[in-house]
Amino acid sequence: MATREPETGWHGEDSDVNHLRGRAFEATCLAATAFGLVSVLLLLLFVANDAFRPFSADAGWLATYAATVLVPLAALAVYYYRLDEPAGEVAYVTSGLPVVGLLLTGGFAVLFIELLSVLEWFALLISLVVAGGLIAAHGRLRPKAALERLAVVLLAPIVTVFGLPPTSFNRFVTDTAAALGLDFGLYYRVISLREAIMMLPFVPTDWVMLLLTLVLPVAGAAGWFVEQRRESRRDGLAVVGLTTAVAVVGVVAGPLLGIGTDVWLLVVTFAVLPLGVYVEGVLRRGEGVRGLAFPVAAVLGVVVGSVVTGALGFAGPDPWLDWGFLTSATSRTAADAGIYPAMVGSVMMIIVIVLTTFPVGVGAAIYLEEYAPSQGLMGKFVTLIEINIGNLAGVPSVVYGLLGLALFIRVLQWPQGSVIVAGLAVGLLILPIVIISAQEAIRSVPDSFRQASYGMGATRWQTIRQVVLPEALPGILTGTILALGRAIGETAPLLMIGAAASVRLAPNSFFDVASMMPRQIFSWSSELDPSFRHGVLAAGVITLLAVLLVMNATAIVIRNRYQRTG
Amino acid sequence: MTENEMTSNESTEPTPSTETAASSPDPSGDPLIDQSIDVEGTDANAGETGKPVIESRDLNVFYGETQALQGIDLAIPEKQVTAMIGPSGCGKSTFLRCINRMNDLIDAARVEGDLYFEGKNVYDADVDPVALRRRIGMVFQHPNPFPKSIYDNVAYGLRIQDQTEDIDDKVETALKRAALWDEVKDQLDKSALDLSGGQQQRLCIARAIAVDPDVILMDEPASALDPIATSKIEDLIEELAEEFTVVIVTHNMQQAARISDKTAVFLTGGELVEFDDTDKIFENPDSQRVEDYITGKFG
Ligand SMILES: Nc1ncnc2c1ncn2[C@@H]1O[C@H](COP(=O)(O)OP(=O)(O)OP(=O)(O)O)[C@@H](O)[C@H]1O
Ligand SMILES: [Mg+2]
Repeated sequence: MATREPETGWHGEDSDVNHLRGRAFEATCLAATAFGLVSVLLLLLFVANDAFRPFSADAGWLATYAATVLVPLAALAVYYYRLDEPAGEVAYVTSGLPVVGLLLTGGFAVLFIELLSVLEWFALLISLVVAGGLIAAHGRLRPKAALERLAVVLLAPIVTVFGLPPTSFNRFVTDTAAALGLDFGLYYRVISLREAIMMLPFVPTDWVMLLLTLVLPVAGAAGWFVEQRRESRRDGLAVVGLTTAVAVVGVVAGPLLGIGTDVWLLVVTFAVLPLGVYVEGVLRRGEGVRGLAFPVAAVLGVVVGSVVTGALGFAGPDPWLDWGFLTSATSRTAADAGIYPAMVGSVMMIIVIVLTTFPVGVGAAIYLEEYAPSQGLMGKFVTLIEINIGNLAGVPSVVYGLLGLALFIRVLQWPQGSVIVAGLAVGLLILPIVIISAQEAIRSVPDSFRQASYGMGATRWQTIRQVVLPEALPGILTGTILALGRAIGETAPLLMIGAAASVRLAPNSFFDVASMMPRQIFSWSSELDPSFRHGVLAAGVITLLAVLLVMNATAIVIRNRYQRTG
Repeated sequence: MTENEMTSNESTEPTPSTETAASSPDPSGDPLIDQSIDVEGTDANAGETGKPVIESRDLNVFYGETQALQGIDLAIPEKQVTAMIGPSGCGKSTFLRCINRMNDLIDAARVEGDLYFEGKNVYDADVDPVALRRRIGMVFQHPNPFPKSIYDNVAYGLRIQDQTEDIDDKVETALKRAALWDEVKDQLDKSALDLSGGQQQRLCIARAIAVDPDVILMDEPASALDPIATSKIEDLIEELAEEFTVVIVTHNMQQAARISDKTAVFLTGGELVEFDDTDKIFENPDSQRVEDYITGKFG
């Protein structure tokens, strides 16, 4: 009965449902998507080919590495995808963690080389810890004194890091600026803890300070995490102990192998420790253990490949984008040109942007969403402001460059093309985007959470602090990171504020003149030598895109992480 | 029958109107409590009157242009269960929100008139709604746990109100009273959003009672619960009424009849038609419309 086919039915071809228009629309959309994706992909392939020049290698070289690296890894990937998905995840994490860890290592290495001495870092951190201790102690002793607490929270870090001004506020601002510029000229004022530490006659050696301020805290955090996870104090302590042991052994043994102690400590903290904890967890759970084969195969493949090509005398490619490009300054000859100073400039610019735009943008968004009146005359005014923030997000970036030029260079007389000016100008540019995305994240917190909180007798501040912000934070972070991605690629404002076309030395303070990656790429594009315009330029673009990719991937990871648990 | 009702209705109908009449010539606010005791007294069932702890006087609420409550006069007795019944949209939730000033959070809402809590008009300029809400807890119509762990949900109120001594014990007690402890005692770290709807509602009840408020407002607390959990909640409410004043909105007539001491019947348009002892409302209501509503002829 159910399988009988009536001649004229409601279900077949002759039914009166018409799908034709829908199908045509679907096909058009697909075509548009495919066109966009394919053109971007082609462009990327083209640039990547210029940057890496894989075909400048011997065919034998390519074949060897294809056989030792590509084929095994591809086979493993297919195996994971088809048969063993947990192992696939393990493979993904164990390959990704070292990369991220090494990037972080590089970041801190640059920080210590260009910006801060280890002693300065040590002093700063100790001062902040002491400030935190003061705040906590005050909270313990006088939990009810709210106004006092506010003062302590605001003042403690300032006093420990910057000290007290002599008399006038003006003097204080000068000092703050000087301290930011890491120029420790002392004025007639109460000296800060940070400066006191810096003036100590005896200071521990660099590696001891790094061990105390970087390795141990990170190891402690990891240990705490493990302890919580496994509810075993012993495992937590083991993490801390092992990490410290590995770090100290490396410090002693490193120089024999030619590894700098500082670099070793950074590698241990950011790469070895997370990877070790993760791998140990995988082995203990016994799930997806086969995924560990992937990174092992990758390393083995590279080692075998290099042995084979060395033995047979195959020449490798001569890429534009290589270690030398990443670590040297630009030069007259294309072969020696590198992007290192511009990369440091970009990173420092991002630091300025994060420190200024993030608090201002998120603060504005919180105000507009949670505090601002929505009714009456003031409500209209707020709406006007919101509309104009939307408009500001669309203002061309040259205009922000002009604003930066007028405000920071002409009015405030800050050095032309300095990192701080670049950071503030580009920060202004992305400020509206940060505000809008943070507003959206805050708005997406369901009202029922707020009502529940107010219904419990929470104040507005408690509601925002305990309920709204934790819920909105992933969204805020995602939006901000994406906006930072936009910031790092902006060129026009940098041109307007006179960022250097090319510099030989990386900036050492925020008031130094610097170049940034897009600015450097732009100046390569007008070099006469075609190998600049094709090779070096492509290498720069790929570097920039890689940085962007890492930032966006971070944003995506944050979003997924919190969506799962939220 | 109908005529009989009508006459009896007319004879005792002045209850609300006497109250308004009494309040209008003497708006000083001080002697309110005595007055309302008088009003209670005239209601004949003087046997079990508690002292009124919440009193509304000619309370009107507007959402923009539309009026949601019309001149409500109501005195809620202390340490008893007061039920509010009425058809959907008649303003029960709105009235509940007036008591702890949750209507402040709705931009469109405007409240006129007075509402006294322990003799103080909560709409006075010097009343901090936050302090008020710490005395008057609320369970909402839809379960709304925080996206935190079960433990943190119950501990939330304790933490924000700085009642952090013996916090573990208080959380456990609250969960036990809300009949949830046995189900969640091994998974207090689990996200509250992973609970079922009924468990979430009980969690919200636990959260509200954990801070020991004076009054608990419950907006249909049992609408998402199965009969067993419902009866546990009803037991809880009766038990709570020994210490707290409970105001409960419900669509379930039997529930109102079972657990409440007083019942207020709202009808469409936001008017309070009758407010009296529960037995009286369900056995012999003054108003014909109330009888129709209770017997299901209307609404
Ligand atoms: N936030 C609001 N904005 C505008 N109008 C509202 C709002 N909340 C309630 N109302 C209106 O006020 C009237 C009373 O609503 P209320 O929620 O108090 O009803 P209720 O008796 O609780 O109904 P139910 O039994 O369905 O929960 C309804 O007509 C509703 O449309
Ligand atoms: Mg309701």
